[in-house]
Amino acid sequence: MMGRTIVIDPGRCIGCQACVSACRECDSHRGKSMIHLDYLDQGASVASSPTVCMHCEDPVAPCAQVCPAEAILVTPDGVVHDADKSRCIGCGNCVSACPMGVPKIDLEAKLQFKCNLCYDRTSYGLAPMCATVCPTGSIFYGTLEELRTERPGVEVASTFDFDGSIISTGVAMVVPRGRPVDEPLPGGAGEHARVTGSPQPAGHLEPSADNVLGDPL
Amino acid sequence: MRPVLVGIVTALVLSAAIFLGSRGLHNFDSALAPYAIASVFLAFGIAYRYTVWISSPGARRLFRKGWGAALSWQNLRRTPTALPRMIATYLGFQKFLGARSRARWAAHQLIFWGCLLAAAITFPLTWGWFTFTANTGAGPQYTMNIWGFPVVGFNALSVLGWLLFHGLDIAAVLVIAGATYFLIRRMRDREASTGQRFGYDLVPLLALIIISVTGLLLTFSSVALHGGGYEFLAVLHMAAVVLTLLYLPFGKFFHIAQRPAAVGMQLFKYTEHGEIRRCRNCGEPIDTTAYVDNLRATMRDLKLDFDAMAEVCPRCKRLRRGQAYRTTVKPGF
Repeated sequence: MMGRTIVIDPGRCIGCQACVSACRECDSHRGKSMIHLDYLDQGASVASSPTVCMHCEDPVAPCAQVCPAEAILVTPDGVVHDADKSRCIGCGNCVSACPMGVPKIDLEAKLQFKCNLCYDRTSYGLAPMCATVCPTGSIFYGTLEELRTERPGVEVASTFDFDGSIISTGVAMVVPRGRPVDEPLPGGAGEHARVTGSPQPAGHLEPSADNVLGDPL
Repeated sequence: MRPVLVGIVTALVLSAAIFLGSRGLHNFDSALAPYAIASVFLAFGIAYRYTVWISSPGARRLFRKGWGAALSWQNLRRTPTALPRMIATYLGFQKFLGARSRARWAAHQLIFWGCLLAAAITFPLTWGWFTFTANTGAGPQYTMNIWGFPVVGFNALSVLGWLLFHGLDIAAVLVIAGATYFLIRRMRDREASTGQRFGYDLVPLLALIIISVTGLLLTFSSVALHGGGYEFLAVLHMAAVVLTLLYLPFGKFFHIAQRPAAVGMQLFKYTEHGEIRRCRNCGEPIDTTAYVDNLRATMRDLKLDFDAMAEVCPRCKRLRRGQAYRTTVKPGF
């Protein structure tokens, strides 16, 4: 994981959508939310889980590796950036290759969008928009030491197991105390997800779960 | 080694074309030699960089599939207008940029048509392919020749004559307008300035503006200053152009060579078979079958062994991971 990074605790998420709204305010993708908020068992439970770009470290950024246009830059600080606007050809390789389901694509604009850890803020030492507004600390930004100052003894994990393929990421997730730290988190590759109705609660909110925007030309 | 060889061959082919097109250098204007030499280096650079680019698994596969789709007889019979239409809408009028921002589309169109006009005039001129001859020493009746063959006669004092002789000035005005918009945007707009790099994002705009301004000053010098400062301006303009041509394959301008891949991708994706691959979990369409298969093969080339995940839609990927976390990591949160 990166030194100063996002740590996600789905157990604290109350599904309030503050992160989704705040993400829309980010200067590098104004008006579009790059964060995904999924209701895991809609109708039966209030469990929800936010997903930001996990900034994969090893193998480094599969999205960038499969990009045929060399459009996704990984800076030395480990941040996997959104597509370079002059290069992205809108093919969607990154959308389908990402095992986390993160990148979005606008087919009309031939452009990919994804969380870039609010680079306009984090490169100046500020926390990303989502972490700034999260009322429950489900999305935390800082170092592991800072997290442990707030939540003594908390453990985090930053490896995922996708059917035998291990991916280590720059963003971490909180795990219960006592769980072996080096045990990878389940990527859910073999699972059959229960599809839970509409991606967002009914209402006027724009569905953030739709990774594909617009019709092909 | 291969990119170097491809580069050298391309540069040699261009050199031969310059030699033949200028009738054995008979029509070659030695005052323009630095431009012609820079264009040979440019040919090397573009071919070298392009070969390096398409040697990565993702680009290599798309390059083959894209050209396969573009040259496919079946595709041509099924959708004969697809290729010319896409070339016009993607590469010419860049409709996709309009979907990003109308102002950026307009500015980019100004730069695009300005550069295209300038390239269409200067490259053949510096290669000795275009020549202008007059039977009477001072004109005004001129003949324009291509490769030494007379093509069109015109009066230098007519509107057509003015346009032909001021084509580069028109191009410069278009480019200055577009590039200035982008430069201001890069200084003021935080969407543009986030993560911007001087060499990658600002140098190309500055180069375009310097080339255009020094080019216009050459006209200004000859029209208003009786050629005052012309030689200095000519060297300045030449240096700006030559350095830009040498930089072109290695910075932001390389998108000019890369963008046609969008046409190949689109042709391959939507005209080849048209069959849609659906999410294994929820049945939502993911992409065309040919494209998903191509991506999975790319992922295997790269030793990304989770390629089967490409057949699950992004939302189901997240739900699976979230539900697995809820079941096995932090049960019932």
